[in-house]
Amino acid sequence: MKSVVTTVIAAADAAGRFPSSSDLESVQGSIQRAAARLEAAEKLAANLDNVAKEAYDACIKKYGYLNNAGEANETQVKKDKCLRDIKHYMRLINYCLIVGGTGPLDEWGIAGGREVYRALDLPTAPYVEALRFARTRGCAPRDMSTQALVEYNSLLDYTINSLS
Amino acid sequence: MANKRFFNIFNLTEAEAIDLLDTPCDKLAEDESRYVAASHLINFPTEASINALLRAIDNDDDELDNRIVRRKSIETLGKLQAKQALPAIRKCLVEADCYTVENAVWAIGEIGTEDPQILSEIAQILEREGQNHRVIIHTLVKLDYKPAVDRIQAFTESTDEATASAAISAVCRFTGDYTQMERVIAFLFHPNRNARRACIQDLIDANYYPAIPSIARCPVSIVFRLRAIRLLADIGVERGEIEFSEIRSSLEKTLYDHPQDLELIHEYDLPPTMEFLIRQLYETDFGLCYLATQTILDERASEAPAALSATYEEEAYNDYGAHYHVMKIIGWLKYQPGYELLIEALNNREPQFQKSRAAAALALGELGDERAIPLLVACLETKIWDLKYAVLMALDKLGGTSGCAIAANDDDWLIRARAAI
Repeated sequence: MKSVVTTVIAAADAAGRFPSSSDLESVQGSIQRAAARLEAAEKLAANLDNVAKEAYDACIKKYGYLNNAGEANETQVKKDKCLRDIKHYMRLINYCLIVGGTGPLDEWGIAGGREVYRALDLPTAPYVEALRFARTRGCAPRDMSTQALVEYNSLLDYTINSLS
Repeated sequence: MANKRFFNIFNLTEAEAIDLLDTPCDKLAEDESRYVAASHLINFPTEASINALLRAIDNDDDELDNRIVRRKSIETLGKLQAKQALPAIRKCLVEADCYTVENAVWAIGEIGTEDPQILSEIAQILEREGQNHRVIIHTLVKLDYKPAVDRIQAFTESTDEATASAAISAVCRFTGDYTQMERVIAFLFHPNRNARRACIQDLIDANYYPAIPSIARCPVSIVFRLRAIRLLADIGVERGEIEFSEIRSSLEKTLYDHPQDLELIHEYDLPPTMEFLIRQLYETDFGLCYLATQTILDERASEAPAALSATYEEEAYNDYGAHYHVMKIIGWLKYQPGYELLIEALNNREPQFQKSRAAAALALGELGDERAIPLLVACLETKIWDLKYAVLMALDKLGGTSGCAIAANDDDWLIRARAAI
């Protein structure tokens, strides 16, 4: 699993050297932000269902799905079914907060994802909109501390950027 | 042919979408999205839409919210195959943003060009670090740019399996020497899920029919295997290079989708609990779902119905991955009280649950309840080929014969071929 630590060690080992002072600074930076990341991870995990549902509802509220027979979300009662994907990305964001790097998203969420969406004509807009809403919705200190929110939002941005 | 199941998910007219796309970022309401507009214009192949998308590409504000709109606009122009967009998209090839470049390369592949200068520019992107080399390789092959073969050759040993797979396949196609395709087939059983999915696409692109039986055994979602076999069958039969009888067994094993017919690559280090096995059905790596399904069928069949019913009520009704596996297992367990659930799934018209419909048809065949026959036959009126094919397989078990008469006149050659057996 790629993290700041594994990246630094892998780069040093590949060159047969000790980690440089700038390597150590980046590890130190990651460690210093660990408390904020873990706070964000904990709050996200505790509220995953609400965060994902709220984000998904928001993304279909503004423009609305067509309610024709055979279209996505034909029936009101089933409108939350794409939650599976939003939750998946939120879970990977949670892992990234813990790891302190984007490895889980890169390896399990993004690698190949863009190609699959294009090949199967799957829409990215609902996911991007849901994640954009989640970024707007997060509020400090109501949901988490300011620093934790910075960590969380930066991973939301990373995911939006990679999916779009 | 684009799959248009999801094209109309946003309720906007063309004019509304263009207005939205043209709105400056600082004038947008909080809940308005230019990204949605750029996606939605795929529904309108008009000059007005194309010009709006071109204006969006011209807006080079580097804020994230604009960056994603530009990329989406490039992609939509590619999907619309807008030749007039080629100069604007070409300019994007030199940009720093790797995803913008990726979309530009892909879009040029969709639009098509024989301009050697543009093709050379695309080939040069292979030298750039941090770029999606796989997409570039695919595009160069699609546009038949043979001068790139040496550059592509260097990627055949890439540590990124998806890139290596694309490169090996590309070199085979450029040189006409397919001996290395076995390496691409080997990726079908790689521990990395992305490698397994990626090589399927490369086998499709190479029209590599000998891989069909291996594709059928690859532990990825049925969606990928079925798409591959169908695309290969269409092109192979049309060209007279393969026959229906050669692909039938692989196709039907894939539709049946029993883990016994797959080459599973995962294993448990400890005996799993029932709770763990049920959770595995929600995994996004279907290889894990298939192992759980096999284990449930082999070792936990007696306690499975209660556990499946419980998870369906709680969550699987709402999760199109687990929903699919629950339908399949109900069938293999021949769990008669699951009949109504299968009928509901058979008639579920929401696109994200589409693969559960064919699964339900086959599961109804396993249950053997003849009440299902007219409901299955009714599904032959849909446009969903895998559902219709699954219905014919289920009717074989249930003894219904009226289905074959209807299917014999189907628009789809594959359905007609199956009905003629």
